[in-house]
Amino acid sequence: MNLGKFVERLLQLIPVLFGVSTIVFVMMLFTPGDPVDIMLGDQHVTEQMERALRHDMGLDLPPVERFFKFLGNAAKGDFGLSYYHRAPVAEVIASRLPATIELSLVALIIGLTISIPLGVLAAVKKNSMFDRIATVTSLFGISMPGFWFGILLLILFAVNLHWLPVAGRSGFSFEVEPITHLLLVDSLLRGRPDAFWDALKHITLPAITLGLPLASILMRVTRASMLDVLDRDYITFAEAKGLSRMKVIGKHALKNALIPTVTVAALQAGSLLGGSMVVETVFGWPGLGRLVVESIFVRNYPLIQAAVLFYAFTYVMLNFVADILYTVLNPRVKL
Amino acid sequence: MNIPVLEIENLKTCFDTRDGMVTAVDGVSLKVNKGECLGIVGESGSGKSVTFGSVMGLVKKPGFIAEGSIRFNGRELVGLNGKEYRRLRGKEIAMTMQDALTALNPAYTVSNQIIEVLLAHDDALTGSRRSKKKQARGKAIEMMQLVGIPAAESRLDDYPHQFSGGMRQRIMIAIALSCKPTLLIADEPTTALDVTIQAQVLELIADIQDKLVMSVVLITHDLGVVAEYCDRVMVMYAGQIVESGPTRDVIDNPQHPYTQGLLNSIPRLSDLDRKITPIEGSVPELIGLAEECRFMGRCLKATDACKTLIEMRDNGVDHQVRCINAGMVL
Amino acid sequence: MTDIGSTPDMNKLNTVAGETLFKRNMKLFASSKLSLFFSAMAIGFILMALGAPLFAPHDPNEADLFLRLLPPAWMEGGDWSYVLGTDALGRDVLSRIIYGSRGSIFIGACVILVATTVGVLAGLAAGYLGGWVDVVISRLVDILLGFPYLIFAIALIAMSGPGLQNIIFALAYKEWVIPCRVVRGETLATRDVEYVEAARAMGASKRYIMLKEILPNILSPVMVVSTVRMAHVIILEASLSFLGLGVQPPTASWGSMVADGRSYMLDEWWLSTFPGLAILLLVLSINVVSQGLRDAFDPKFHD
Repeated sequence: MNLGKFVERLLQLIPVLFGVSTIVFVMMLFTPGDPVDIMLGDQHVTEQMERALRHDMGLDLPPVERFFKFLGNAAKGDFGLSYYHRAPVAEVIASRLPATIELSLVALIIGLTISIPLGVLAAVKKNSMFDRIATVTSLFGISMPGFWFGILLLILFAVNLHWLPVAGRSGFSFEVEPITHLLLVDSLLRGRPDAFWDALKHITLPAITLGLPLASILMRVTRASMLDVLDRDYITFAEAKGLSRMKVIGKHALKNALIPTVTVAALQAGSLLGGSMVVETVFGWPGLGRLVVESIFVRNYPLIQAAVLFYAFTYVMLNFVADILYTVLNPRVKL
Repeated sequence: MNIPVLEIENLKTCFDTRDGMVTAVDGVSLKVNKGECLGIVGESGSGKSVTFGSVMGLVKKPGFIAEGSIRFNGRELVGLNGKEYRRLRGKEIAMTMQDALTALNPAYTVSNQIIEVLLAHDDALTGSRRSKKKQARGKAIEMMQLVGIPAAESRLDDYPHQFSGGMRQRIMIAIALSCKPTLLIADEPTTALDVTIQAQVLELIADIQDKLVMSVVLITHDLGVVAEYCDRVMVMYAGQIVESGPTRDVIDNPQHPYTQGLLNSIPRLSDLDRKITPIEGSVPELIGLAEECRFMGRCLKATDACKTLIEMRDNGVDHQVRCINAGMVL
Repeated sequence: MTDIGSTPDMNKLNTVAGETLFKRNMKLFASSKLSLFFSAMAIGFILMALGAPLFAPHDPNEADLFLRLLPPAWMEGGDWSYVLGTDALGRDVLSRIIYGSRGSIFIGACVILVATTVGVLAGLAAGYLGGWVDVVISRLVDILLGFPYLIFAIALIAMSGPGLQNIIFALAYKEWVIPCRVVRGETLATRDVEYVEAARAMGASKRYIMLKEILPNILSPVMVVSTVRMAHVIILEASLSFLGLGVQPPTASWGSMVADGRSYMLDEWWLSTFPGLAILLLVLSINVVSQGLRDAFDPKFHD
């Protein structure tokens, strides 16, 4: 792949990222209420201190200057203080981020491993009983509200069957020294199989809740794409060559069929971020999503701002990855 | 030596669509002898491609073979199970398709696509999987050179889209011939190509046919191609064969009004003053056809007598026509 | 295209004389029992929303603390006048579900309406007028697309506070981007087609061409996209309500009903289950209908 072109594409992201930052900033400007007042709450401070605080936060500057101060600070990783947590916003977000990342990763894995084989089989056995069931199930999968599905799973598996825990990410006495901050990985790295099982039990329901709708979408995409590919001339030609069914489908069809699947997956990974807010709330998962929701109710604007910026940046990068993936998988399309 | 390489008897292939039962191939019978080149001429929808799709066993739902027999070297193919068919395809009977760009998998290199056929069918490869691959690679280079791809070795690992149209068609031929099949079915090998490249590709096929003593079926809508390269020719219309015979005979002395019409609509350099007469009308729908001549609506010689089932009848040495008014020249 | 094993082109084989392709496809759509069933269900929901006062057995806000937390009628302790049970305040679950449909459907319809109108106009302008108009609109689209859907909506609501109007705007702000992209693409494709050239040659104004020539021909993909998006928007609205950021109490909303039922998950499972089921059925019926329409109009759907 051409490095020059890659860098060029990367640079094209800058205006978008700039635009995104602008919008986040504008949102902040229009938020009702005075930040300093909210921050101080009932505390009494002298006028001098108040002015100093305003100056510190750059609130006395005109909007454009404020914007650049905002950008400058963001670049340094300084997003202000979360008075609610009595800590810098960046720190708070960083502490909750691994939980969300871990959840999203597991959900993504679940989504891919279920959808691809099912989608391929459904296409190959088009209109069979298997296909019909798969199609109907995926239809339910995309029609179901995530929060309801999660609660249903909770009622069934946690409340009634007691197989799995009701909430949280890990039980007591399963503390593990973090390396990657991903509990599942760390517990194995530290040789704590008991902690691993505990973490696994906790992540199962939330990951399924997040991953199943994704799997439904990907299954439909894979099936549609596979059907399209199976109709192509090169499949007929491959059969005319006398190749085995496995080779025709597993080799010739699959590589081409998976292109849309993978690109859609990369795009959907972004909406996993949004979906995690709901799922984390349902399962009491200590991640960034739940943090954002909580912050809205306590009007912790600096944190919300930083989080939105973070989500947006991640989403833009994910879209970029999807574009790159597409060019890599499809030899005909050049960067 | 006496058994024809391919013998089709009363083949009927239908498609069960939501608009009705389409009979794409209706009672086709033909023979291909060893070392012979048979030309099949017809327009789109005449059933020529489906006939040979049936021979290859590649007719997919909702299509199916309703009646008839297909014998390859005496062996019955209709009803053959998948595994057996796969042993034949690519190895004994090979096929090329019209558009090489869509027939070659864009996601894999050319070498990959040639080698996989060899690995699947070539019994002459010996040893471990790695050594087989190496041998196959060597053979692939040979095949590429045989079909005239320059710098074969260095281009072996390129992707199909990196070649020109003519080269791609040659690569497809290379793939088809890599296991030295007994029968090659070339479906419109030149339709997607420039005129100059057409000649090259056809010469190539003729050349290899001589070298390997291979039988070839050349499916085309171009009578000029047939005239130049085929020993015998069959003209198809609306799912039936309407005329068949040695090429020279059929071209010099066409009996069926459709064949005559086809020949009349070709401009000839030798006769610049002659008016080109197109055939009026269009091909009938292939659903629920009545038992009558299918060309009737467009035929200038049609009479009421044509409203019955018309069979092939002999009209000269080894020359058959599906017309009761054959021999009459308007 | 080789056709050795594929069905001959069936679209030429039309239909009964005089029957247009549209009519034939609609007939095809109607021939599927599934499509008809779910169309009926979707219509049923709409009727339910419109005629809520007629259908609901009780006032959705009428609280009777003596009757709180009744189970569904078929269970022990249930009461047939409160078929699906009652909530923590003694309000009838069924009535609240019926009234809740109003919020979901109304908001969904509003968002789609606003978003489609804005999106179509923006897309037409961007596609047809090109130049800086296109650049500005496309940039805006790219930037808005940089936000995950829910995040953006939540941020807007954080700013403006929850409430009916705010939700509609919060969702519409991102939603218009989707029809805009579709319309822009279609407009670009049809911009230089003959009948448009002809109109231009006759001196038609740009506005005329955009609205009278191009628009009617790009409507069908827009309609398809809109129905698909409607399902999405309904789920989003429910999610927002679930998080407490949507329609506020005491108005009945399916999302917030599910949220309220969470505290009673251990024993009174029906409080969360039935409202969620309603969302599922409504969205499912919309999805089935839109899929059915897409299949019926798809020429490759030979079976």
